[in-house]
Amino acid sequence: MARASGYLKTGYGQQLVLVETRMQWMLLALLAAALLALPLFASFFLLDLAGQIFLAVIGAVALMLLTGIAGQVSLGHAGLLAAGALVTGILTQEAGAPFWITLPAATIAGALLGLLFGLPSLRLKGLYLGISTLALHFIVVFLGQEYETIRGFSTGISVHPPRIFGWELYDPAAWYYVLLAFDVVVVLFALNLLRSRTGRAWRAVHERDVVAEALGVSVFRAKLSAFVISSALTALAGAVFSYYRGFVSVEAFSLFVTIQYVAMVIIGGLGSILGAILGAIFVTMFPYAIEAALETTGLAAALAGYVFAINYALFGLVMLAFLLFEPDGLAGIWRRLRDYFFLWPFRKTPLAGGE
Amino acid sequence: MLDLSPDKPEAAYGRLRASTLPGLLAQRAMASGGAPAHRAKKLGIYKERSWAWLAGEVAALARGLRELGLKPGGRVAIMGDPCEEWVIADYAVQAAGGISFGIYPTASPGEVAYQLAHSGARLFIAENQEYVDKVLPLLADLPDVSHVIVADTTAMFIYDDARILALDDVIAGGRASGDTSPDALAAMAAALSPDDTAFIVYTSGTTGHPKGAVVGHGRHLAAAFNLVAHYPQMARKGQRTVVNLPQCHVLGRDAAITVPLLTDMVPHYGDSIEDFPNTCFEVAPTVLFTVPRYLQKFASQILVGIENTSALKRAVYDLALARGRAALARLWEGRAPGPACRLLRFAAFRPMLSQLGLDRLELVLCGGSALPRETMALWHIFGVNVCEMYGQTETAGGIIAGQRGPFPQPGSVGTAPAGWAFDFGDKDEIRVTKGDLFDGYWRDDKESAAAFDEAGRLLTGDVGRLSGGQLAIIDRARDFIVTAGGKTLSPTTIENALKASSYISEVIAFGDNRKYVSALIELDQDTVAEWARSNNVAQGGFTALTRDPAVIALIEGEIARANSQLARVEQVKKFMILPKILDPEEEGEPVTPTRKVKRSLMYERFRDLVEGMYDKSEEERIAGKLGEVF
Repeated sequence: MARASGYLKTGYGQQLVLVETRMQWMLLALLAAALLALPLFASFFLLDLAGQIFLAVIGAVALMLLTGIAGQVSLGHAGLLAAGALVTGILTQEAGAPFWITLPAATIAGALLGLLFGLPSLRLKGLYLGISTLALHFIVVFLGQEYETIRGFSTGISVHPPRIFGWELYDPAAWYYVLLAFDVVVVLFALNLLRSRTGRAWRAVHERDVVAEALGVSVFRAKLSAFVISSALTALAGAVFSYYRGFVSVEAFSLFVTIQYVAMVIIGGLGSILGAILGAIFVTMFPYAIEAALETTGLAAALAGYVFAINYALFGLVMLAFLLFEPDGLAGIWRRLRDYFFLWPFRKTPLAGGE
Repeated sequence: MLDLSPDKPEAAYGRLRASTLPGLLAQRAMASGGAPAHRAKKLGIYKERSWAWLAGEVAALARGLRELGLKPGGRVAIMGDPCEEWVIADYAVQAAGGISFGIYPTASPGEVAYQLAHSGARLFIAENQEYVDKVLPLLADLPDVSHVIVADTTAMFIYDDARILALDDVIAGGRASGDTSPDALAAMAAALSPDDTAFIVYTSGTTGHPKGAVVGHGRHLAAAFNLVAHYPQMARKGQRTVVNLPQCHVLGRDAAITVPLLTDMVPHYGDSIEDFPNTCFEVAPTVLFTVPRYLQKFASQILVGIENTSALKRAVYDLALARGRAALARLWEGRAPGPACRLLRFAAFRPMLSQLGLDRLELVLCGGSALPRETMALWHIFGVNVCEMYGQTETAGGIIAGQRGPFPQPGSVGTAPAGWAFDFGDKDEIRVTKGDLFDGYWRDDKESAAAFDEAGRLLTGDVGRLSGGQLAIIDRARDFIVTAGGKTLSPTTIENALKASSYISEVIAFGDNRKYVSALIELDQDTVAEWARSNNVAQGGFTALTRDPAVIALIEGEIARANSQLARVEQVKKFMILPKILDPEEEGEPVTPTRKVKRSLMYERFRDLVEGMYDKSEEERIAGKLGEVF
């Protein structure tokens, strides 16, 4: 439903618009201006942080589609990121392939892995499915380690910066804009996917797969497509990550990365693309925020040896707190905040249909 | 296209008196065929209908109706909630030379039968299956009705009756039979005389059977234009309205059909009339024609919403309300509110109205019955320009008087439009001395003659007086209460004071030849139920609610508040809550389809309750009796 009065639709095309009211356009324009102007003021440190967030958003949106929307648990997320990065690294090293070959190759590899490891989802649910996807993680990491050992890249496979018409993508500000564009495309893709037949089928399967089947949704196709699309996106994120970092090392894709991504979708709020973005921002910035807090309170020196431990402990506590007190996550908080002002001065909509 | 400038009303009246409704429609289709005539919500989207499209449908249906045997002067009944098919059918009947009339969608079967027989209708056009169901059992006694035409054929597959036809099929048949261009419609309209009868409006009739007011083409157009002349902002481009009043009502007809024909105002039809608040929200109308009941309903919805909101929001609202109330006198003098008042309006009322789609209203015209002053003042505080107007079916779609505003002081119905005049006759009865009026009642010469005096003035039957140059309506002449003490009271004044409460939906005051005034109260089901929920009052259905001591105490408080605004003799000393909701669709129920209360029937129906309020021993007897009933 529209968020302001007077937006009547005279054609079905108008029902497809993502941005409807003048207010929404204004807020969006403000956000876009702020994002575009940021590199003009930001330090290298901030630009790198933004880059990490942008990369995390791609992965988080991918996991949100699979877990938050389609309701399929996956613990293979770090494995998929690793797969995308490894395919890029290997193709670069072995064949000197440019980015316009490695990125599609990584995406296809991710899709194939998704297809393969999505198959158990047709039989397994919940925790059992999670364990089966964990296998993916270990297999990919094992293969990556074997490759690194055999080829002598034990410190990591280096990846050259992508080249477009002789111009090398190296400058942090340039990377910022490229990653921002990536995010915009991925988010728009995800939002539109959710309104399509596929996205609706995923939601139906999430609610109750038996009922979805009875309603004519092919659960087989919905589950596999969720795995394939999510995995392809994740592998793509891994490939871009390898270019961004300039090298690939399997070490970087530990099980903790998977936990971080699961945390992003839970803290962000399951079922919402906005939640994936907010979760990615929150989780990526969390360690930096803790560090900054320790610095400002002057505890940094005293606790120097425990920073990592404090970080992990607090991260765990925050996760617990969200699960207990705010199951709808940051997106839920945002929605409540938004409704508070949109419904002003009412508590709930005065329209009979919206009660 | 006719030159219809609201600045030169007399010239426009003259041109319109020489026009017909289908003739003007054809002219519009030729002059601005692509412009929107209305928008109607179908399957989730508002279909934009151009004048050319409307004229084409009308011409085709007119041909189809002729093929079904409609002769010039033949009557056709239309029954249904406001919808675009109503408009097409109405124009088409007139284009074919017939006389259309609407039956209230909530009319009881007895009333439908009476109007069909009295008018001698040949065809019955129904909005949907609901009305087919209503009319089918009556047809055995109505041999004149040859066909029932249904617009919405959903659920019609189970009917196997040769008399039932689909509106689309009749239109298709008409289209196949000949030219349906605007020129063809103009040719059909040319066969009509501006003096021919266009339609009949059955007045809701709080006494006896309804009377059918006969209205001619030219006079209706000229009369309805007095609204445009009185409120020239309606003629501005870009105005939009939501159709919420039944089109069989003359005010509903003005809002949905005639004013849009005379201006660029675009009417909008929602999914259904029950969906009116949502339609309002989606359309955000700039002009609204309404009756007091809707304004009261909306206002109490808002008030209940505010009562249940958080403390901070309520505090902002209360502050804005207090400032707004303090600024009312200034507002009514025509001065703009101060900056603090405007800021608070922006902070509290603007977003509130936006959520109901009422934030862009420039003009709300309220008629049909008296608008309680408190309700009007509340809307003025919110920043909505509500103006009250006064007209009758007998004034053929025109108004006798209207407050021009913006933000007129409540308590009067304003001044006469340009070219119209009224004076006061015997016992201060309002008489219309100048204006375009109806042509008498259908098949009722006695009543027709009684409607006018020897000088040709229309006798309204309403009592009024001038105060400060504005017309103030006191009451219907025959409705006055003369107490045992000899005081003459206006029941409407008393009832409206009580109706200002959001928990009370209808009030009927009694007191003729009695020691004091008493009242029967109909609860507002929604707000009282909501109140009961938030105050932990047990709910066991509506009847139980009406007998709950907490609810009775609540109403007692509301009446005490109303009494403080009334003169001593007017104060309501006793009251009873009706154990049910008044339903006009029920046979013999003392309300008209427009929910006007039939006073005498009310007394007959609830005699025990009324008498009980005057005799203690009697009351106990009835309480025992009621115990058996419920």
